[in-house]
Amino acid sequence: MSDGLDFTLEELDCDGALQESLEGIGFSRSALLGTAVVGGGALLAAFGAAPAEAAIPANDTDILNYALTLEYLQAAFYTETERSGATRQTKMRRVPGQIGAVERAHVAAFRGVLGRKAVKRPFFNFRGVTEDADAFLRTAVAFEDLAVAAYKGQAPRLRSPQVLAAAISIHSVEARHAAWMRFLSGVLPAANAFDEGKSLGETVGIVNSTRFIVSNPNQTGRGSPRFTG
Amino acid sequence: MIAIEQSVQTGGTRAAFLRRAAAAGGTLVAGGFVAGAFPGFVSAAASPAQDVRILNLTLTLEYLEEAFYAQALRAGKLTPALRRFAETAGAHERAHVQFLEKALGRKAIKRPTFDFRDTITNPKKFSKTAVLLEDTGVEAYNGQAANLTKPTLAAAAKIVSVEARHAGWIRAIRGDNPAPRATDRSLTADAILERVKRTGFITS
Repeated sequence: MSDGLDFTLEELDCDGALQESLEGIGFSRSALLGTAVVGGGALLAAFGAAPAEAAIPANDTDILNYALTLEYLQAAFYTETERSGATRQTKMRRVPGQIGAVERAHVAAFRGVLGRKAVKRPFFNFRGVTEDADAFLRTAVAFEDLAVAAYKGQAPRLRSPQVLAAAISIHSVEARHAAWMRFLSGVLPAANAFDEGKSLGETVGIVNSTRFIVSNPNQTGRGSPRFTG
Repeated sequence: MIAIEQSVQTGGTRAAFLRRAAAAGGTLVAGGFVAGAFPGFVSAAASPAQDVRILNLTLTLEYLEEAFYAQALRAGKLTPALRRFAETAGAHERAHVQFLEKALGRKAIKRPTFDFRDTITNPKKFSKTAVLLEDTGVEAYNGQAANLTKPTLAAAAKIVSVEARHAGWIRAIRGDNPAPRATDRSLTADAILERVKRTGFITS
């Protein structure tokens, strides 16, 4: 079922910053073209039996870093919206705070698990969508649906059972967020009986198209980037 | 490994893969539903036989959800928002049942019979029960993810996020926080079966 929201991100332009940042942490070109790797995540700290940093297979480290990048993006998006107060006078006034806290927890968990291997936080410029309640909600729907698809696309590639167990339990939280944001938008929260995954290539392409990740904190866009934390 | 990954990416071969898994599988009893139908549930390594046991656990939950929504809609006491939810989620659960039955073939567990009492006629009890059933679905699939073979995991992952969307949706209708935790719980098969038993919904 098409509700016109699935392409919110894709309609925007692209500057390739996420791709650069991924190449910077060792993704090969073939991986970026979608033939290999990436996209899960893990709140391993919640699982007690988290493997030590060194015990995580290299394959899984790459996937976790990819997931961390997506979580950085989401955390920054909600945190900046909470700070801007864009939803304060709406029925969504508590949403950025509630979801932001969860996404920040995911970031903290990934960074904890990855230790020195964690990819650095990129710089963001949300180009005004964190300052307008309607734009915020449209972007939130797109981000959450994308996160569900990205985790799903990579879950079967994870080798560590602990990492997989953690990633899959974050995947379903992203799906709850997606349903929630869709509910607030007035579109069907669960549009299909089966959710399809997205490959690394598809996901990176969509994220790039938003131009939300920038290489320089002072890069000019429509308004200055506000999230620096 | 390469063959597995290819099959994961080729949606058309998913059912065939699961059928093969089922054909190679163990000897799950197809009789009436009792917890004893899942003896010595999860061993360490993923295997086609273990996939059959796990998918029969989730099929049982899908049967339960499907019947719950169908009977609630027939009873005709839901509010418009709850009716829309029950119609949509009910159609999804039916699709999940069909998918799992096809995947399991002869190994599929028999559909139980249910008695939902006043949870299908009282809208408040209906929504509370829907939260319980959808959360249980999420926790069952999540709890088994690492025990499944990779091709079966790829298929199950397409279902679990839909259960999570239902869970978020019904909580939003109720005015509850749709996602109160940073990670969803993963429950063992025993814990899932115990919870299902406690509802008293399954009569045979």
